[in-house]
Amino acid sequence: MIQFWEKRLQTGIVTEHKEYDERMKALRRELKDAVKKKFAGSLAIRMVDSGSCNACEAECNALSNPYYDLERLGIAFVASPRHADVMLLSGVLTFNMLPHVLDAYAQIPAPKWVITLGDCPVMQAPFEKGFAIEGPAGEHLPIAHHIPGCPPSPDAIIEGLLTFLGKI
Amino acid sequence: MRLIARFALEENEGLEVLTVYADRTERMRLEADERIDSIAGRHPAAIWFERKLHDDFGIAVDGAFDSRPLLHHERWPKLHPMRKHFDARTVLSSHPFKPYPYETVAGDGVFEVSVGPIHAGIIEPGHFHFSQAGEDMLHQEVRHFYKYRGIEKMLEGKTLEQAWPIVSRISGNASMAYQHALRDIAFAAANKPRSDRDRGYGALLLELERIIHHLTDLGFIPNDAGFGAALAYASMRAEEARRLMRRLTGHRFGFDALRDTVPGADAEAVRTFVRTLREQMRWFEAWITDIPSLLDRFDTTGVLTRFKALKYNTVGVVARASGVALDRRDDDFHRARGFETVTDDRGDVAARFTVRLRELFVSLEMMEKLLDGAQESLPDTSDASGEFEAYSEGALGELYLFVQLNNGRITRFFARDPSFMNWQALHLMMPGNIIADFPLINKSCDLSYAGNDL
Repeated sequence: MIQFWEKRLQTGIVTEHKEYDERMKALRRELKDAVKKKFAGSLAIRMVDSGSCNACEAECNALSNPYYDLERLGIAFVASPRHADVMLLSGVLTFNMLPHVLDAYAQIPAPKWVITLGDCPVMQAPFEKGFAIEGPAGEHLPIAHHIPGCPPSPDAIIEGLLTFLGKI
Repeated sequence: MRLIARFALEENEGLEVLTVYADRTERMRLEADERIDSIAGRHPAAIWFERKLHDDFGIAVDGAFDSRPLLHHERWPKLHPMRKHFDARTVLSSHPFKPYPYETVAGDGVFEVSVGPIHAGIIEPGHFHFSQAGEDMLHQEVRHFYKYRGIEKMLEGKTLEQAWPIVSRISGNASMAYQHALRDIAFAAANKPRSDRDRGYGALLLELERIIHHLTDLGFIPNDAGFGAALAYASMRAEEARRLMRRLTGHRFGFDALRDTVPGADAEAVRTFVRTLREQMRWFEAWITDIPSLLDRFDTTGVLTRFKALKYNTVGVVARASGVALDRRDDDFHRARGFETVTDDRGDVAARFTVRLRELFVSLEMMEKLLDGAQESLPDTSDASGEFEAYSEGALGELYLFVQLNNGRITRFFARDPSFMNWQALHLMMPGNIIADFPLINKSCDLSYAGNDL
């Protein structure tokens, strides 16, 4: 383990470097304040994939890497919809997933919001509406905010969450 | 003999079933009663193919011991969307809920645990059904196709160029594998050889995609054994690799990157990346293999024996970690560029972890030798007709694509994602393990839902 602590001290905090410039710092400060004010210090997100290509999930996972470190802003992905304030919905809303998505939404305690993630849930991705696809999500759920991209980059997701927090 | 795929085509004369083995393809025209004999006795992995044949085309399978619907969940109306007369844009009406009979084990004190489709993390949807005796897993059933988007049908009537953005996004973390194979199909359809330089560019990005994938797993597997520091470290490396992908292709996942003309890759950026990552992962290897409590969780957990890996026709890391030397890159082109097959015969989580780590170093070496690639413009396939197939070895294993074209338009698209084979073998790794080890075993295989469900 001594190797690890050596490495840890050598590496320092990586979140501060490379393209993580002042703009991101300001953005993060703004986001932290918004979370504190509107959600008593923490915003709990339940991510639901309703039929994506898995790139949106990969980018949400990337938000936890030390370069983005979303959780230190008080924004956390939670395991149960019953712990969540927000449903972050990716994917085209397949026929097979629709009932489960509606079920998960029903389990989120009010007040609750749905944020659509990526081009799929608004049917802007290359996938065409067909028999197995029930999107756009807006026909089934009240959408409070949309984060575009295919997939949206981790930066774009953080920015999207900030815009959402500014809106409500 | 290894089963690769079993699927059907519909033409004017009726239905034809193709069974693709490693060394030959059997074709069979169906009689008017549209029945086939099951081959699941010999090839257990045929079960999902045959259940899919029924859902897609209404083909009846004689001698099948599992004839439950596969793609069509509880609320599906009775229809077979891959038939030519079925309109892809039909709006389905939800039918009354018809319960799905799960595979269960009965007995005193035996209980069932249902997990999914929405899991407790940022993961794709799928369902796992366990029969438990206390903590011990007696049996597990994998039930998927929640993400079934009907892509095979969606692509019919399109040209290869129109299909490209969709095929590119069938499975986001395997986009290069799909595009690399689709590009082979485009060249074959245009009856034009694909040059080594062209293949080299695709191979370079495919190795980068594998590196991103393996790095992610090398972090998540220890994380699922309660060792989060590995995830912090490996996820930084995965992020850097993804940024290289963006630098090379303009996109963090390389969507559509193998479609357009490219003069060549930024060799200096790749070299720097390779050098740095090799150093970093040598450090990672020395660190991670020196933590006995972690390796104790990996060793003998979730064993897939070589016999079963072969019997179930598994592919990719799962097969190689069970001692099966199976890799589509095992040819002169890739060998000349530093490729060597990595295998391990233990078949457990430790083996799958080790294979990934060793493959990562092989991929780094290959990237250094694939720097002279460049991409020509996509050949013209506007009047191409015929049947074409292609393979690629993505991070998850062997991908098989079949495309039938008629005057440049797709009349049948079939993809057998590597995960389609490996998901069917997952339950074999469970008996003898406790349910708390399921996430670890599952992660060590790291299978795709999007590619599997299509």
